[in-house]
Amino acid sequence: MTAAADPPVTAAVPDRQGQRRDARVEAPAIVAAQLTKRYPGARGGEGVQALDGVSFAVEEGELFGFLGPNGAGKTTTIKVLATLTRPTTGTAMVAGIDVAARPAEVRQRIGLAMQSVALENMLTGRENIELMGRLHRMPERRLRARVDALLELMNLTGAASRLAGTYSGGMRRRLDLATALVHQPAVLFLDEPTEGLDPQSRTALWEELVSINRAGTTMFLTTHYMEEADRLCDRLAIVDQGKIVVEGTPRELKRSVGSDSVEIALAQTNGKSSFAAAQAATLARLQGVDEILGAEPAAEGISVTVSSARVAVPILLRRLDGAGIHVAGLTTREPSLDDVFLRYCGRRIRAEEADQPLAVGWW
Amino acid sequence: MAESSEQVSRPVAEPGLTGFVREAWLLGVRSLRRYYRVPANPISTILFPLIQLFVFSQLFKDIVSLPGFTGGERGAAAAGAPAVSYLDYLTPGQVAFVVFFAVAWSGGNLLVDWRNGFLDKLRASPVNRMAILAGELVPLFFISAAMGAAVLILAILLGAHVATGPAGFVAIVLLGGAFGIAWAGTSMVPALLTKSEQATGTLAMLFMPIAFMSTAFVPVALMPDWLQTINAWNPISHVIEAMRSLMTVGFEADVLGRAVVAIGTLLIVLQGATLWAFRRLTA
Repeated sequence: MTAAADPPVTAAVPDRQGQRRDARVEAPAIVAAQLTKRYPGARGGEGVQALDGVSFAVEEGELFGFLGPNGAGKTTTIKVLATLTRPTTGTAMVAGIDVAARPAEVRQRIGLAMQSVALENMLTGRENIELMGRLHRMPERRLRARVDALLELMNLTGAASRLAGTYSGGMRRRLDLATALVHQPAVLFLDEPTEGLDPQSRTALWEELVSINRAGTTMFLTTHYMEEADRLCDRLAIVDQGKIVVEGTPRELKRSVGSDSVEIALAQTNGKSSFAAAQAATLARLQGVDEILGAEPAAEGISVTVSSARVAVPILLRRLDGAGIHVAGLTTREPSLDDVFLRYCGRRIRAEEADQPLAVGWW
Repeated sequence: MAESSEQVSRPVAEPGLTGFVREAWLLGVRSLRRYYRVPANPISTILFPLIQLFVFSQLFKDIVSLPGFTGGERGAAAAGAPAVSYLDYLTPGQVAFVVFFAVAWSGGNLLVDWRNGFLDKLRASPVNRMAILAGELVPLFFISAAMGAAVLILAILLGAHVATGPAGFVAIVLLGGAFGIAWAGTSMVPALLTKSEQATGTLAMLFMPIAFMSTAFVPVALMPDWLQTINAWNPISHVIEAMRSLMTVGFEADVLGRAVVAIGTLLIVLQGATLWAFRRLTA
């Protein structure tokens, strides 16, 4: 984990749970160095400092996330990396290419799925994917095979010849993703990929994103959903007000704000005095266990602070069972990314921050 | 999906014109499909000009007996030229009118693309920036030409005749298509500047008086002096006069030349403004 105060120039090779990647020595897929972006204010107004010195690196094959409230600079970062807007200062490389100096080459190697689903409603699902493939100059033979494979992957084969305008929200997201993947980009940018989806479609999309990433596509995604960042990202940066506040794997970040806790509820059937006795007996039995960092009486029983709930719970239960203490219930709680955000930003990501100002033109 | 793990060799961007034309065509076909797959679009484009053609040609049947009409307004045509029916006179103007309705529809397209992120998706792909705009012009050519042809055919069924025959028919339709491309900016610029479909529709309608002030309905000879002066510079009148010349007189190089210059000037000025507004929007 790296605090943003001393910006990381080189990022550690990600430790990927469950699978090891062959350690090829290559340039990182994304490098951002001290990016700033200032939008001038309308009619002599203050203006907005959307990015205020953002630096990070994403390794090839990694699934990296920006977690933060709207207005934190997540979308602006994607726009800079995807060559849609130039940074005010700072540099960025995508797939080893400078986005400001050689944007055309970057564009051949990236895929982009923005927060609003960008589809042509009056084209069919298949036509939407084909259009993006042809614009990327894919040869027709390979395009056809690729489109079939993507429709299959995204579970859209049955709806392929229907107009995209008739699709449900989840289908539209998946089709949008397919259009961003058709040319097999080296790096895929996803801005709030599950925004506005129902929980079921969201979970389904997560699985698809993970499988695309496993197949070798580096991904950079932004989200303001804690659970999404936790479930998907190999590594993530928490951003607030145009700055990276803290960066690390979800596990590291959660570890950094505190330990796990286990709440043990004791049976209350034998009256008040025996409950107090049971509390005392429990506390006594928990002495000298390595995994336990602390224990104290609570309303329901005992509250235990442990280094890892996963490891400590079986030990706790064995100990108490051996002493004949009747455990009525047990709950564990791990620190969440919510706690991480609260700790580093001093507040929670609130729903109302999701409101963005309307874009209006002159008159 | 197994193939996606292997790195793909990426084709080098096609240089210059080939790539541009290809991309504009691909995007144009997409916009054209967007147009004709909603049947209300072609209907709303052609209905007003058709109604005008039908009603006005009956209503003002005898207007041709006014002095300004006899033998057309050009002296050259006066000598021995057959008397022109008002239907013959009116038809070219209605072919041009189709363009106003086709174009009014088009500006909103860029806005839809901008709002739902399609424009960003294109801008993050290797597509040429100018091809994105040109892609919006392609359908306007076909829509204007096809709808113009429909108006012409109805006029012929009503009894009009094209003096220059089938070749003239094609020439009129092509002029209509070219005028569609040239006029597109009147809808695209307001769309890109206001970012509002409603404002775009309203502002596009502001150009209608220019159309009514043209020689679409009556010849310049019947107009007051100030309107005659305006019409000397009204590009719409030059386009309509060229179509009318093909309809009622023959192939007149100078009249056709003026139309080509008018269309070219409109195209350069309006597309220049569109490009500026587009850059402003996507900066």
